[in-house]
Amino acid sequence: MTDTMERRALTREQLLAAYRQMRTIREFEERVHTEFATGEIPGFVHLYAGEEASAVGVCGNLDGRDTIASTHRGHGHCIAKGVDVGEMMAEIYGRQTGSCHGKGGSMHIADLSKGMLGANGIVGGGPPLICGTALAAKLKGTGGVSVAFFGDGGSNQGTTLESMNLACVWNLPAIFVAENNGYAESTASSWSVASDNIADRAAGFGMPGVIVDGFDFFAVHEAASEAIARARGGAGPTLIEMKFTRYFGHFEGDQQTYRADEVARARAELDCLKRFAARVTETGELAQADLDAIDTEVATLIDQAVDDAKTAPPPTEADLLTDVYVRY
Amino acid sequence: MGDAIVGIVANPLSGRDIRRLVTQASVFPTAEKANMIQRMLPALEAVGVHRVLLSTDLGGISAAVFRAATRHRGQSRSGPDTRWPEVEFLDGQPIRQTAQDTVDAVRRMVTAGARVIVCLGGDGTARVAAAAAGDVALLPLSTGTNNVFPAVREATIAGLAAGLAATGAVPADVAMTRSKLLEARVADRVEIALVDVAVSTERHVGARAVWDPATVTQVFCAFAEPDAVGLSSILGQLSPAARGDPHGVTARIAADAPEQVLAPIAPGLVVPVGVREIERMRPGAVYPVDTRAGVIAVDGERELTFEPGDHPTVRLRADGPRCVDVPAVLAASARLGLLRHQLRRVGST
Amino acid sequence: MARSITYREAINEALAQEMERDESVIVMGEDNAGGEGAPGDEDAWGGVLGVTKGLYHKFPGRVLDTPISESAFIGAAIGAATAGMRPVAELMFVDFMGVCFDQIYNQAAKFRYMFGGKAVTPVVIRTMYGAGLRAAAQHSQCLYPLFTHIPGLKVVLPATPYDAKGMMIQAIRDNDPVMFFEHKALYDLAGPVPEESYTLPFGEANVVREGGDVTIVTLGRMVHTSLEAARQLAADGVQCEVIDLRTTSPLDEDTVLESVEGTGRVVVVDEAHPRCSMATDISALVAQKAFGSLQAPIEMVTAPHTPVPFSNALEDLYIPDAQRIANAVKTVTRWSR
Repeated sequence: MTDTMERRALTREQLLAAYRQMRTIREFEERVHTEFATGEIPGFVHLYAGEEASAVGVCGNLDGRDTIASTHRGHGHCIAKGVDVGEMMAEIYGRQTGSCHGKGGSMHIADLSKGMLGANGIVGGGPPLICGTALAAKLKGTGGVSVAFFGDGGSNQGTTLESMNLACVWNLPAIFVAENNGYAESTASSWSVASDNIADRAAGFGMPGVIVDGFDFFAVHEAASEAIARARGGAGPTLIEMKFTRYFGHFEGDQQTYRADEVARARAELDCLKRFAARVTETGELAQADLDAIDTEVATLIDQAVDDAKTAPPPTEADLLTDVYVRY
Repeated sequence: MGDAIVGIVANPLSGRDIRRLVTQASVFPTAEKANMIQRMLPALEAVGVHRVLLSTDLGGISAAVFRAATRHRGQSRSGPDTRWPEVEFLDGQPIRQTAQDTVDAVRRMVTAGARVIVCLGGDGTARVAAAAAGDVALLPLSTGTNNVFPAVREATIAGLAAGLAATGAVPADVAMTRSKLLEARVADRVEIALVDVAVSTERHVGARAVWDPATVTQVFCAFAEPDAVGLSSILGQLSPAARGDPHGVTARIAADAPEQVLAPIAPGLVVPVGVREIERMRPGAVYPVDTRAGVIAVDGERELTFEPGDHPTVRLRADGPRCVDVPAVLAASARLGLLRHQLRRVGST
Repeated sequence: MARSITYREAINEALAQEMERDESVIVMGEDNAGGEGAPGDEDAWGGVLGVTKGLYHKFPGRVLDTPISESAFIGAAIGAATAGMRPVAELMFVDFMGVCFDQIYNQAAKFRYMFGGKAVTPVVIRTMYGAGLRAAAQHSQCLYPLFTHIPGLKVVLPATPYDAKGMMIQAIRDNDPVMFFEHKALYDLAGPVPEESYTLPFGEANVVREGGDVTIVTLGRMVHTSLEAARQLAADGVQCEVIDLRTTSPLDEDTVLESVEGTGRVVVVDEAHPRCSMATDISALVAQKAFGSLQAPIEMVTAPHTPVPFSNALEDLYIPDAQRIANAVKTVTRWSR
């Protein structure tokens, strides 16, 4: 096997881990969807269901040296980067046991110890920060890379375009992942992205741009593997555009009257988990029993997370004023 | 002869795959694809094609042509050279942003009576179009690198050739040639290839493009030209088979084979490839795939996965798509004086 | 001990000493070296007004020029800070904050709080402010009140070369995001500055002149204008206490209130626009917490509520001068019911 093949060949452990992560994201989001409808979860949530292959396919190539930045639709990236699921659920419920002690909420879950620079409430807020962590990795010589996830809406934000230029000018170990799920809120990306393919913008900045079927874990993993290797090797940034669809609305409560029937079709024919399962059982790399076992474990994990979150204490009045600055 | 109709299918997603990242494959802007179509349209009109069917896409090509057509209609006619045929956009069907869109568009053009279908894209686009075109002639136009089957040709000239062939001004036996094709079969799944079929030990379709030569175990070529880029170049240097030859050529690939050739297997990628057991492919003969499990790539793209026990096969067929032979059409047009033009006297219509 | 160097040189020295001491300190901004990619000299500018000159060659690879992309590189400085660097990024003119403010007030300022205390963002953003160079409306604003308003940011405005060096070193060592405001009209001001490295704590105002009659609370360049007014007033027998706030966030309330308790009369001098400014902030503070001590209403001396005009004659009217400050002081001393 060549180095390239070795790097990309997925072991049994890696395949199991990929399935587990995708399944965890899916069950997490589906559960938040039903729980949110009860009115118990404060504020807004933006669900990632349907897009799991992107987060898991990319993050499956990362390690402890690497950083990612996410969007308001950040639960999937958090889980894929190893943020604790129980702490995430508690954060969404606004509890003191949450990842951010209840002070951030769904849109601001972060864990810098795991290289997760945060979900972000500002569209386009992540890419400049990723230029920074990539710069730090380059100057410190860690070999680490930084990945900026953003959506089709975020692809039009000035900050994203500036960051792409800066990353190319400074030759940073950065990867820009445009998750084109077809809609920026209620506006179709085929309308709002003038070049229609976000990947086409890459040439304007002097970096490669590739389009990947975002429902296909193996396609994502392969393309991301190459982009990350390129960045680690000092050859600079890449733009990867995932094309897929989100299963839920922009936010929970979105009536989605702007959509056609693409979700039903996607769930039936394109779903990343179904396709992954079909493939790995077909090749014999994994057995259905392996997958079923994971499904059961994940269901238990999510149940536990929700139960714990519902019974956890809220932050106290004293918590209101803490951590504005480092010392007070 | 009845009004000749020409169809144009443009693939917005060609040229955006992983080869942009792992080789120096070209970046072919959507704007340029739209420009090519706009260069073709006046040429078609000039040789008597007044109706063109254009595929619709979400990649911006048909939108750009639509904007140009709108602008064009608004301009005053200042001379015959600015006339466009009537362009009908084939919309109304769902756009899936997959190869199915190309298939659907080609089928609609065939049903509508198109005599020639121009397809803009790479080997993959031509392959998909060929599978749907039946007996209708194709004119594959290359947009980018890594293309062996479609020609790299100026779109204006392609427009002239397509029009002269579609109207019958150049007779079909001169204007069209029939290509060979390869048929890869895994149980009841069949895919065709216009240039090559490669067997790869990759387990999954993944990012589709075959770009890592170390995974290839066998190649089958409908034709292998010495000046082509891609997997067929392996045999193009060692045992060329022309497009017009009845036979193809096949070989096993092994890194440690005694016979080694430096082959341009991808844009910017010239690597030593070990080759064994080169043999001619006879049309109609069935050749087995010996690799236990992996993926079969057709025209450079992984398509058919196979597991132990599947026993895939590859067959060379003579009944591939009919294609417009652009140089032959224009040479015939010169001989027949088809583009000779009467100078208009002032005052006459 | 103290030789005399300029405000500009003091900042340059602070940067150099900290970069020497700590490898994680990097400098970035437009033309911070200058000449990048061009055939002539490298370090051609060292910053548009020369503040970072010389650092490029002294610390190879640690002074980064940037394209004109504030969102991207200010954001990059912030991101790099979360990843263990101590970047000093330059927002050339604070007037440009509009193109990168999100990264400052929604990202850097809020990471620590939003992430439940788990982020540290030790970034310094240096920026030029203030009128007086005829640079007109989009290159002469103060705008520090907008940053002061944001919890999670520290906002510091040194008025002298001595303060500039100490506060820059403090800013670099501080683990919170610091907005470091440099008045462009002060760069050539010379003053005594120790050669060794030293810090000045944030949240400690400086009583630059003691006096028992009126408290003048001020900051930045207006410190010098206030001192000029105080000298004039002293000749008339009015003794002003001039307090240089030094930092608006954190704010040293105690020093101000203590002085007011002594004098009972306050004039706040602030070059920023009058609405929602430091002048109104201090006035509210004093009215709320030292009401009982006040002998007269609080007077504010500020720029007018207009953009900064271009013409010499107009800009000179725009900027508060010593005469206006003196008039305000006389108003509070003469006031009676």
